[in-house]
Amino acid sequence: MRAFDGGGVSLRKQSMSIVIQTRDLTRVYKTYRRNEGGWNALKGFFNRQTELKAALKSTSISIEAGQIVGLVGANGAGKTTLLKILSGLIYPSTGEVEVLGFKPFERKSEFLRQISILLGQKAQLWWDLPAADSFNLLTSIYSLDPNQAKSDWLTLADKLNCREQLHVQLRRLSLGERMKMEIIGSLLHRPKILYLDEPTIGLDVLAQKTIRTFLNEYVQQHQPTIILTSHYMDDISSLADRLLLISQGSICYDGTVDNFVLHAETKLNLDVKSEETDFEEVIHKFFEKESRGRQTSRPQPT
Amino acid sequence: MRKNLAAAKLAVLNQLEYRLNYVIDAIVQPGLSAIIEVTLWMAMLTGMGTNSLGGFGREYYLAYAMWATFMGRITTNWMYEFIMLDEIDSGRINSILVRPISFYEFYFSQFIGYKLATAAFSFLIPLIACLAFKAPLIVERLPLMLLLLAYFLAFTYTISFCISCMAFFMTRAQSLTGMKNMMLWVLTGELIPLDLYPEPIRTWIVHSPFASGVYIPVAYITGRIDTHLIMQSFVSISVGLVLSGLCGAWLWRLGMRSYAGTGA
Repeated sequence: MRAFDGGGVSLRKQSMSIVIQTRDLTRVYKTYRRNEGGWNALKGFFNRQTELKAALKSTSISIEAGQIVGLVGANGAGKTTLLKILSGLIYPSTGEVEVLGFKPFERKSEFLRQISILLGQKAQLWWDLPAADSFNLLTSIYSLDPNQAKSDWLTLADKLNCREQLHVQLRRLSLGERMKMEIIGSLLHRPKILYLDEPTIGLDVLAQKTIRTFLNEYVQQHQPTIILTSHYMDDISSLADRLLLISQGSICYDGTVDNFVLHAETKLNLDVKSEETDFEEVIHKFFEKESRGRQTSRPQPT
Repeated sequence: MRKNLAAAKLAVLNQLEYRLNYVIDAIVQPGLSAIIEVTLWMAMLTGMGTNSLGGFGREYYLAYAMWATFMGRITTNWMYEFIMLDEIDSGRINSILVRPISFYEFYFSQFIGYKLATAAFSFLIPLIACLAFKAPLIVERLPLMLLLLAYFLAFTYTISFCISCMAFFMTRAQSLTGMKNMMLWVLTGELIPLDLYPEPIRTWIVHSPFASGVYIPVAYITGRIDTHLIMQSFVSISVGLVLSGLCGAWLWRLGMRSYAGTGA
């Protein structure tokens, strides 16, 4: 699938500072593979068959300060891999990456103080402690002023309607309550760059709406740069001002949501009828097409 | 320093959340081990029809068995090693990797916090037992012994760090913990006082950093060895610390290169 520029974004690049830049970024994973059965298990004990899978293929992006970017793709498209590289969790296999002037994988303290990543499917606060204790620990780790930090997390808790749960052990909270605590924990040090990986996953409609509204308000107030991934297109359409569509490890669309819907039929060869102009519908068709394409491609054995 | 103290406090808070686990780990488990060891030594001496073994009398073995089991629990790290292995194995390490504190530092602070909180209670038991049974104990030697143990904790933790880094390369690396703890059980002198080992094995082990985990500190406070050997132990721990530190740094760098952020 060939990438196309959705327009509107490149003009602003001239006047705003770039905070995230990647050039030909790739990441290849090595996985062990064996066929079923005892004999194959025994063979695998002596002779491991591994295969290489490119999760990210030659990705080049530039993101300006203050931009909210929706990163959309099917499962396994490479969204989380890209976020992990940008946050310094993993090394890229090849290519260049720079975030706020740092190489993320070097994980320098000055860099880590300016970013935050929220992984919706993974608890990042301490499971056995009440959130308030975790926030106190984060206050120390980020060397924040204790009084200011406490005032901040109480304010954030009020906005998310979860003050009552601050002193309950994290493991005893519902998914929605836990996610609210995770959001507070990720914003406590006021990061300049925020990576949100499926922040509303598994939440009910009301909790999703609360988090969406909160993030909207937060963005207007603090203007961080955000990369947001989600399978709920309402998250993307209500928060993102730029859409990056990723398919099988490559960026195949970069532009606005509106342009994506308008030009999907011609540029991405999607079968979209003229009356179907809903974003969710177009994305759904895109995923269907991608899924068909993925079945024909196989990883490279080594 | 502030973040290290906060992490140490986290360990104490975590322990207080699970009171029963804490009591079992700090008192019940080493207490039962001490009873078994004391019984075995007394039975052995009675069976042999003698009051001394290797030049040391019953009361020395009573004191040794009491202190060695409690000290072994403090200087052997399995709980935090399991946690660290699991963090890497499951990908939960991500929550530390994105914060301005290193994995080594974060768990070292917690480990020290936990061990200090545990030692403060559990060492009272052999201390009271020795005083009650009039077993040999040189009280004025306790501060230097505690200092040596604290230094040894840095060494034993760094070994644990090396083992946890193996989780980058293999699944179920927990089996290494069992193997390491068995090795420490023998090399620290927790199982048998090192002066009962044949030469030259005895000399090799006594001069290795491992002996500072149990044998040297216990022998020092019970009067089996002189101060010069404890000073030598500080040097051997330093050498061990440098070597294990280099090994840990190398494994970490290699592991991070291959890390795929699993689970997240």
